[in-house]
Amino acid sequence: MRSAPISSAPCVAWANDFDEWREQARRLLQAGTPPASVTWHDGNDSHDDLFSSPRALENPPSSRKPSSTPIRIGRDQLTLLRNAARYRTQDYDQPRWPLLYQVLWRLARGDAAAAHAADADGRVLHQRWHAVKREAHHMHAFLRFHRRDDALGERYIAWFEPAHDVLDLGAEHFADRMGGSRWIIATPQGGASWNGSVLDYRDPCPATWASEARTAAARTSASHTRVDDDHALWRTYFVSTFNPARLNHKVMTQHMPQRFWRHLSEGDLIPAMEAKARHGGQRLAQESSVGQRRGKALPPRREAQDGARDQAQGVAKS
Amino acid sequence: MELIDKLSILADAAKYDASCASSGAPKRSSRGKEGLGSSNGMGICHSFTPDGRCVSLLKVLLTNFCLFDCQYCVNRRSSNVPRARFTPEEVVRLTLSFYRRNTISGLFLSSGIIRSSDYTMEQMIQVAKLLRETHQFRGYIHLKAIPEADPKLLEEAGRYADRLSANIELPTLTSLKTLAPEKELGTIHAAMGHMRQGIDAANDDARQDARQSVRSGNSKRQAPRYAPGGQSTQMIVGADATDDRTILKSAQRLYRDFRLKRVYYSAFSPIPERPAGLPQAAPPLLREHRLYQADFLIRSYGFQAEELLNAPGNLDLEIDPKLAWALAHRDDFPVDLNRAEPAMIARVPGIGLRSVQRLVDLRRLRRIRYLDLVALRCRLDTLRPFVITQDYRPTDACQDSTRLRQSLTAPQPAQMALW
Ligand code: SF4
Repeated sequence: MRSAPISSAPCVAWANDFDEWREQARRLLQAGTPPASVTWHDGNDSHDDLFSSPRALENPPSSRKPSSTPIRIGRDQLTLLRNAARYRTQDYDQPRWPLLYQVLWRLARGDAAAAHAADADGRVLHQRWHAVKREAHHMHAFLRFHRRDDALGERYIAWFEPAHDVLDLGAEHFADRMGGSRWIIATPQGGASWNGSVLDYRDPCPATWASEARTAAARTSASHTRVDDDHALWRTYFVSTFNPARLNHKVMTQHMPQRFWRHLSEGDLIPAMEAKARHGGQRLAQESSVGQRRGKALPPRREAQDGARDQAQGVAKS
Repeated sequence: MELIDKLSILADAAKYDASCASSGAPKRSSRGKEGLGSSNGMGICHSFTPDGRCVSLLKVLLTNFCLFDCQYCVNRRSSNVPRARFTPEEVVRLTLSFYRRNTISGLFLSSGIIRSSDYTMEQMIQVAKLLRETHQFRGYIHLKAIPEADPKLLEEAGRYADRLSANIELPTLTSLKTLAPEKELGTIHAAMGHMRQGIDAANDDARQDARQSVRSGNSKRQAPRYAPGGQSTQMIVGADATDDRTILKSAQRLYRDFRLKRVYYSAFSPIPERPAGLPQAAPPLLREHRLYQADFLIRSYGFQAEELLNAPGNLDLEIDPKLAWALAHRDDFPVDLNRAEPAMIARVPGIGLRSVQRLVDLRRLRRIRYLDLVALRCRLDTLRPFVITQDYRPTDACQDSTRLRQSLTAPQPAQMALW
């Protein structure tokens, strides 16, 4: 790998998304530009005044003769890079493009440990990918559709606020899941819609989608029963399936972070359920509304409650 | 009775079953097809109730009328609870509605025994059949198998369901006799045997299909599916005096003899109008948690039940079973992470299965150092006395286990809280 020439002329590169970054990185790598010589700009980064800048390499290294050896990295490594790039960095985080290029540079030079979870660079990528996977899973789990039929029939709409760039991962999942039902998913960034056969991505999300979805998601409790009363059935189910004798706040919030509660139709029920369980309801597993109903013990040997009386013998052993 | 009232009664009656998993189903998609639903093998928890339990499926009973009188059960015939019964169509309507709103990934249907075991089983099959055939539903279906039902019915259930489960509830013959007089361990085992045969046969057929399709170039599978997500069961913990060793040994036998996918442990929950002979208070949930940890060590780490508990009794509540085993086997430690077999690394407390794989990958690239364990986020406080790396040797390697145990448990004296 020593054969690749090293060009240390400083240059500047821009990328808005992973594919653009990959294109730039490939050219830089072929020109032998080490990570320290590249200044990266990220279209996703609000501090970057990208719009006044051209989307290309400044001081393109093409003046040098590019290395003819093609760059090969493993499929797993590419997956790691691509998915770690979906992570939305905070101010204190390492920006994504320089980190990705640093790892790619090392991989291309035969340093396979760069992509390992115990490596100083690889570790950050793995942690980001892990966070991205988790967020995609959150989207599969906690996104809620609300039924809003139109002239064409059944139609569903959802509002979701993903912490990382996982809209497409979620949309693909729901296209598999919802089959022929039409739906729209709106987020603060992009939006996606499914007409029963084709996915349509929009970035930014159209204002009409966003406002309809936000309104649907903001309705809780009583108002649900008017617009989409099956959410009322769901709220009943949620209360009844809870076992107040096993209250465990920590585990619940670990798995279902509170930032999602706002847009779950059952979210506003949780504090009251916990309070009730803490104040006495905790002794029994049975939900108190069920306990208040009139009970019915069944006489022994009486066979069926729905009127049939067969198999007097067979039943006890049936 | 209104649908919403039935739902509140029949969901309340079903919650004593701990299982709510939607994992293990084959890949299915409804893209470009009639119908609804998908599965990809991974389960999804769509919500969590404040008891920390995952809500993945609509878990209801078809009815809570029951002819049996199992003492630990809230639905036993002598229990004074409100009773209700869904029609199969009502369960279908609820399943599809919740599924479209993305609050569930499928249905877990169980039932009290009405009329006869066969009749009850037929009613449950009817729901699954409506979902699969009339509505082309491709989400997850878990059906409770009634052990006393005709094996033909279990076979039919397996064609619609991703998972079947027959609950053993009590792990010993004597406790079953006193607490569930109408149930028989032999019948439950026989049903599990039937289901295992069905699952094995479907798997064999699937393998044959796969071979044939390679040869013939025909990728479409022919074999009928049979409960591709396997079978599971549940044992109640703390309803009688059975100890953890007995529970784990019977779980181990169930995994071996019937190739169960999962055994669930359910800490006995106090029910209204507790019959005499049942405990007044629930056992500590920590006991249930320790059983799950031990079960995981048996299923995935190659431990034997007898290794985890070599004498009658219960698991240590203060420390987890892996640490307890390591403290009892100090001769096998410290483990050199650069040399040891992966199976032995997996026995080091504080190192999980994913880290084992990563350490094995890493040592193909270079020697393992202590900082790598930090980067991999292993539990350093726990593993410190048990490992050797290129640059690290435990100083407390020769400390005796009692002292070591004290130092390992000392910083968290109030660990009795739930996991
Ligand atoms: S048969 Fe099932 S529902 Fe009926 S009493 Fe026994 S455990 Fe409860």
